[in-house]
Amino acid sequence: MPAILKVRNLVTKFHTLDGIVNAVNGVSFDLHEGETLAIVGESGSGKSVTVMSLLGLIPSPPGQVEGGTALFSGPGGQRDLLKLSRQELREVRGGQIGFVFQDPISSLNPILTIGEQIAESLVRHQMMSREKARERSIELLTVVGIPDPRQRYGNYPHQFSGGMRQRVMIAIAIACSPEIVIADEPTTALDVTIQAQILDLFKRLRETLGMAVIWITHDLGVVAGIAERVLVMYGGRVLEIAPVDDLYERPQHPYTHGLLGALPRLDERESRRLVSIKGNPPDLLIPVRHCPFAWRCEYAFDRCWQEIPPLSPAGIQHKVACFYSIEQGGPRSD
Amino acid sequence: MTENNVLVQVLCLRKYFPLGGGLFGGKTGLVKAVDGISFEIRRGETLGLVGESGCGKSTTGRAILQLHKPTSGQVFFEDTDLTRLSAEELRRLRPKMQMIFQDPYASLNPRHSVGKIVGEPLVIHKVMRKGSQELEDRVAELLELVGMDPSYVRRFPHEFSGGQRQRIGIARALSLNPSFIVCDEPISALDVSIQAQVVNLMQDLQQQLGLTYLLIAHDLSMVKHVSHRIAVMYLGKIMELADRNALFDNPLHPYTQSLNSAVPLPVPRLERQRRRFILKGDPPSPAFPPSGCVFHTRCPLAIEKCVAVEPEPSDPYPGHTVVCHLADQSGRSKIPELGGRAEK
Repeated sequence: MPAILKVRNLVTKFHTLDGIVNAVNGVSFDLHEGETLAIVGESGSGKSVTVMSLLGLIPSPPGQVEGGTALFSGPGGQRDLLKLSRQELREVRGGQIGFVFQDPISSLNPILTIGEQIAESLVRHQMMSREKARERSIELLTVVGIPDPRQRYGNYPHQFSGGMRQRVMIAIAIACSPEIVIADEPTTALDVTIQAQILDLFKRLRETLGMAVIWITHDLGVVAGIAERVLVMYGGRVLEIAPVDDLYERPQHPYTHGLLGALPRLDERESRRLVSIKGNPPDLLIPVRHCPFAWRCEYAFDRCWQEIPPLSPAGIQHKVACFYSIEQGGPRSD
Repeated sequence: MTENNVLVQVLCLRKYFPLGGGLFGGKTGLVKAVDGISFEIRRGETLGLVGESGCGKSTTGRAILQLHKPTSGQVFFEDTDLTRLSAEELRRLRPKMQMIFQDPYASLNPRHSVGKIVGEPLVIHKVMRKGSQELEDRVAELLELVGMDPSYVRRFPHEFSGGQRQRIGIARALSLNPSFIVCDEPISALDVSIQAQVVNLMQDLQQQLGLTYLLIAHDLSMVKHVSHRIAVMYLGKIMELADRNALFDNPLHPYTQSLNSAVPLPVPRLERQRRRFILKGDPPSPAFPPSGCVFHTRCPLAIEKCVAVEPEPSDPYPGHTVVCHLADQSGRSKIPELGGRAEK
């Protein structure tokens, strides 16, 4: 499957009063056409900053994308997202790349009707006439499952529930038939039954529209149901990337291993003791010259404290940044 | 079950909040946050209380501890009805009932040292004197109990991560040797790798100290992991209450069934094959609860009776209580999409 987006060595830093926050430290990955790639990580892992950097949405100052490339193969040929002008980025965002954020109430304009907000995107990116955009917006509201779309077109965001607002955000994201949709924790603020509705909607849309999706989340349960490949981030780096089944069945990085063991499961009858990962998340103010997980890793040995492990093959389409092999019970052979 | 086994008994508890917003600040209605619920919590157990936002689970916890004065109903702690106590009598009982809060950032005073935070309940309840050696020793002991270095007493909350702050909150709750702790979403603000640390600690402490927990949470997987019995709330009412495995192996209420089916399993193969039933719509507002069974507006099995008549609790199996007109041993309250029997 050809890559629609190739990210290489992305580096993003925040210059704060406390010092330099090393938020993203050389992240590389490919997004293939039509696939759903999940980026998983805990708070401060750099998962959101990674995609914000790609979209040019890092507030600057204090943030700064300091290196890397992000080659996007859109209809207009291949372009580096990190080198686009503000104007060009604005055309890509909401056009060829749609996005959905965690909190729909702060992403929607409270003083415009939701219909106007969907139509705006169509008028701007697809040069549609007002009337045509209105008709298309009503269609989109139907597609995302909003009842009485014609009446709801004239409603304001506060008249919608959280789940309904997220549906509106999705309608805006898919309005211009994007190549990629980036979804940053889109269901985290929602109750579990509403989350199930939104996940179901996303899966249906992906089947009918065929766009590629980057799904950012901390929830490994959600990932299991929606992603084809998973990328695990920690301390602003990629620790592991693999097809979803392989990642859950043969996690190679001790961190991924620990995360999966830390999750209670609804289908377990007997309560086992949860695996806890000792220690605390990394302090991003301290630049590291070794494995970012070494402090918390029960397998860490000399080499882990001396160099940063590179992402290396560990199976079919499976890569891991770790010098130790849990399966072999010793250092990974190069 | 002997009477003696029950530590807390809640009888027909109600908590209504006036709905403001009328012209000149007048009341325009009532939000029935908790609407006539009854259950008991046994000594040494963890009772999980689950439900989605706005279902009244947190209000229930607070109303039990009398942090919200209940509108009506009774709460027995051992043999005392807490709702009838004077403020002074309640104060004397407080050491036995404590609370752990959701947000470890908001629940600790940022200007107090760890030592002061953890030791303060002992001083307020005049168990120990401020500045005494005895108090210092007790604080050190408590910090050790929750897995923290006793040398941290002079540090301040901002110096700690979320997980460590939650440990401080737990140490404070334990300072007066309580027998009952209400834990209101104790881990939902924490990262996954830290959640397991705190959950393991809470389980260890329960074993060591014989604590009884009411665990209020929305994360079903975690509630099932920790609880012995689980109550499911919806719109101010308890829909079902059963042992943890019974509630997941044989959920009788259609709401419990759909809630179970909505929780993603962290196993891709299972997740793809799983039977699923997705509830439609949003929960109604607790200010305008539906007639009859409050779940009927979203229930796929609702019959006419559900719209008109509020169901009474029944026990189709021993220790398994459900509030649904259809629920019995025949399986007719099972949602067909989830493998149940279709019968209308």
